[in-house]
Amino acid sequence: MSLIEVTDLAKVFDGEIRAVDGVTFHVDEGEVFGFLGPNGAGKTTTIRVLVTLSAATSGTAIVDGFDVAANPHDVRERIGYAAQFIGVDGDLTGRENLVLQGRLHGMSSDGANQQADHLLEVIDLTEAADRKAGTYSGGMRRRLDLAQALMHEPRLLFLDEPTTGLDPQNRHALWAYLRELNRDGVTIFLTTQYLEEADALADRIAIIDQGKLVVEGTPDELKAGIGGDTISVTVDDVEGAVTTLKGLDDILEVQAHDHEVTLYVADGGSRVAEVVRALDAAGIAPHTLEMSEPSLDQVFLKHTGEHLRVEEVAQPSRMVMGRTTR
Amino acid sequence: MTYAIESMILLRRNLLKTRRVPMLLFFALFQPLLFLFLFSQIFSSLGDLPGFPYESYLQFLVPSIIALTALNSAFQSGMGTVTDMDDGMLDKFLIAPIHRLSIMTGRILSDGARIILQATLILAVAWLMGTRYATGVAGMLVMLVLAALFGMAWAGLSNIIALRSGNAELTMMIGILITFPVLFLSTAFMPEALLPDWLGTVAKFNPITYIVEAERALVNEGWDWTAIGQSLAVTLVLGAITLTGATRAFRKAIS
Repeated sequence: MSLIEVTDLAKVFDGEIRAVDGVTFHVDEGEVFGFLGPNGAGKTTTIRVLVTLSAATSGTAIVDGFDVAANPHDVRERIGYAAQFIGVDGDLTGRENLVLQGRLHGMSSDGANQQADHLLEVIDLTEAADRKAGTYSGGMRRRLDLAQALMHEPRLLFLDEPTTGLDPQNRHALWAYLRELNRDGVTIFLTTQYLEEADALADRIAIIDQGKLVVEGTPDELKAGIGGDTISVTVDDVEGAVTTLKGLDDILEVQAHDHEVTLYVADGGSRVAEVVRALDAAGIAPHTLEMSEPSLDQVFLKHTGEHLRVEEVAQPSRMVMGRTTR
Repeated sequence: MTYAIESMILLRRNLLKTRRVPMLLFFALFQPLLFLFLFSQIFSSLGDLPGFPYESYLQFLVPSIIALTALNSAFQSGMGTVTDMDDGMLDKFLIAPIHRLSIMTGRILSDGARIILQATLILAVAWLMGTRYATGVAGMLVMLVLAALFGMAWAGLSNIIALRSGNAELTMMIGILITFPVLFLSTAFMPEALLPDWLGTVAKFNPITYIVEAERALVNEGWDWTAIGQSLAVTLVLGAITLTGATRAFRKAIS
């Protein structure tokens, strides 16, 4: 059964900016659905329509049997939502934040307090529970925000870039918890700009770019859709390289974006030397050469013509800095 | 859940938030007392003028300080709304299955509660300074209610500015800009008899005049039901306008 049914959904801002441009998809009960795309692709706009915070310009969205436009109240009762931008009251303690959300979802005072105690333990905030949330670290606030969305035990959870700004350790801990929630029967709709996150969590993935759905399927289906490995070279003479590489035998496809030429082949490992020789013979010296097995990055590249570029919110860590130095 | 319960939950949250910033609470309570002290001292000799119809300037001044405080306090209301928008808390409230208007109601009621607290302190300190209340404790309670209702009506205006601009500084500045002319173009600091003619006319169209006069009667004369009725009517009209405007601005801001 589908918990979410989205048909031809569009959202136009100021009469001209088509943030979401006619997307159709469905999310089945019990699955983790990954909505993957770069910044500005339309992920947040879509999720805000689904959680009733924003009205669609056209199209329909049915969440757990209720139309988000016609019956927003019924939808709100059934869903939990953690926004990309954390909504935590810094003047209230962690526990008070949770109880407030519980009460606003119709829980009794006792019920809300019990559930808050339980969730504080689950997200490992019991010790900090009675401190003002304004004193929490980014990771703690993120966890508290997620717990707020879980207070009323919704069976459908919307998470907008839940791990943006988290360090790798916190990110992996959150993934583990989300898997656990999913095992307990919570359906999760998740947006992310991290390929590895979609790969690690999602049963099915839809890639969105510039307001349009590009492709949809399980991670394996999407990877299989590439049909093989990829060999990418960056060159100055793009046309020359494309012509040369198209001349090779058993090539699935050749694509060019900017200075990068990507070759799709069945077995990349055995073809690298051949590619280098062919380019050399044509007088083309590649600046870089990279061979990859099918990955979501390749899926994204193939369908959008671009790599998925992630704009990190957090300060670059030393590790990332080190990698960029040669 | 009912609209009333939801509003009370949000009212409690807003008050809790105020309590959590003790410095803010301190100054909210200290400022009116400072004004009470300064004005009563600076203008004390006005009370000796021929034609000044009250026993002392202090007896005359207490309702004015309450009106000033109610206005000041009311104009902070919009800032809380902007903070909630900026903190993502408004979205958290909107995502909950509650009546949307309870968000505004909880906000305005918490302003009323804060004004009651402030006005209570003013009445008590003024009593210590020598003010005597003709209508006793019952009159003081009525004064608190009038002040709170009056402040809540102005809080509507503050929220219109806040919701339309989304800017806390601008909301505060416009509030201050309105407060002072509105106060001085009334009988708050000078009895009508001593105002220039044109100002006396302007004061008649100023809602502040009616709240101040009703409270002044309660302090100095007794139960002036006409003045109380006029004050309530003015507050009601003002409140109907500002709260309708605030509701519209709110619906527009969240759509």
